Amino acid sequence: MKEKEETFKNIYHSNYDKVMRICIGYTAGNNDEAGDLTQEVFIKVWSSLDEFRNESKMATWIYRITVNTCLTRLRKLKKKVKNYDVESVIDVPQENETIDKEIMYEGLYNCINKLSETNRAIILLELEGLPQKEIAEVIGIKHEAIRTRIHRIKNELIKCVNNE
Amino acid sequence: MNSFEEIQSKWNDQDKIKAPKDGFKSLMKKIEEIKNKQKITNGVLLATVLVLGGFFFYIAGYNNHQVILGLSLMIGSLIIRVVIELLSINRLQRVNRSKDNTLFKQELTKYYNKRRIVHIVITPLIVLFYAIGFIVLLPLFKANLSAGFYTYILISSIVLLFVFSLFIGKQIKTELTQLKFLKDSD
Repeated sequence: MKEKEETFKNIYHSNYDKVMRICIGYTAGNNDEAGDLTQEVFIKVWSSLDEFRNESKMATWIYRITVNTCLTRLRKLKKKVKNYDVESVIDVPQENETIDKEIMYEGLYNCINKLSETNRAIILLELEGLPQKEIAEVIGIKHEAIRTRIHRIKNELIKCVNNE
Repeated sequence: MNSFEEIQSKWNDQDKIKAPKDGFKSLMKKIEEIKNKQKITNGVLLATVLVLGGFFFYIAGYNNHQVILGLSLMIGSLIIRVVIELLSINRLQRVNRSKDNTLFKQELTKYYNKRRIVHIVITPLIVLFYAIGFIVLLPLFKANLSAGFYTYILISSIVLLFVFSLFIGKQIKTELTQLKFLKDSD
C-alpha cells in the first residue's frame, strides 16, 4: 500500500500540470472547475493504477483517463461555462499585460470550447505537444485520420480566434 | 493570431501550474472519504433490504393472504429497484476510463442504452406493482385504522408517488440527455 501511494505521489506531481491544463481547456478557463476535474482524474488514476500494464506510456494512459473523465463531466460543465467575447482575442492592447493576457486566453478557451467534444480533446492534446501517434492512441482513431483531422481543427480554430 | 504557430506559442507561454502545496494530502483524504461513503451507502441499502425482508417474514407469520400479497408486491418492487440501482452504480464505476476515448464512449453509450430500458420498461412496472400492492392493502388499512389515519396514509401515498415520479423523471431526463450528448460528441 505504501509503495502504491509513493508511486501515485510521483505520478501526481509529475502529471498535475498536464492534467490541469487539459481540464482548464475543457472548462473554458474556469480554474476552480478545472481543479475539481483534475482531482476527479487523479481519483480515477488511483483506482485504476493496479490495471496499468505498461502497454502504453504512462502519459498516454493518464491522458486517456483525463479526456474520458472530462467527457463524463462535460455536459454539466457546459451549462456553467461563461461565454467570452471572441473579438477580444484578435488585437490585445499592449498595456496592462496581465489583464490582456487573461482576455486573450479566455478568447482562445472560448474558441476551443466551441469545437465538438472529440475535436476539443484532439486540439488540447496537440497544443500540449503530445505526438500525433499518441493522440491517435488516446482518442482511438487511426494515425492518418488524426493528421487530417488536426489540420482541419487548426483551420477552424484560427478562423474562430480571428472572428471570421 | 493568424497562424496556428502563434496560438501554439501563446499556449506554451502559459504559466506552469504547480500542484497545490497540500494537494496530494487532500487528494488522499478525498479518496478515503469516497471509500467510506461507498461503504456507508452499501450498508444503508443492505440494511434497508434486510429490514424490509425481515418485516415481510414477520407479517407473513400472520398468514393473511391479502397482507402477504400486498406487502410482497410493495417490498418486492422496492428491493428490485434498490438492487437495480446498486448494480447500475457498480457497472458505471467499472466502465474502464483508461480505454481510448472511442471505446470509452461506446461502453458508456451501451450503459446508458441499458439504463434507458430500465427507465422505459422496468421502472414503470416497478411503480405499477408497488401501487397494486398498496391498493391491495387499502381495504385492510380502512378496516383496521382510524378514519383520520387512513385518509392521511391515502393522501401521503399519492403525494409520495407524485414526488417519486418527479424524481425518477428528472433522473431519466438527465441520463437521456447524457446519451444524446454522447451520440453528438464526435
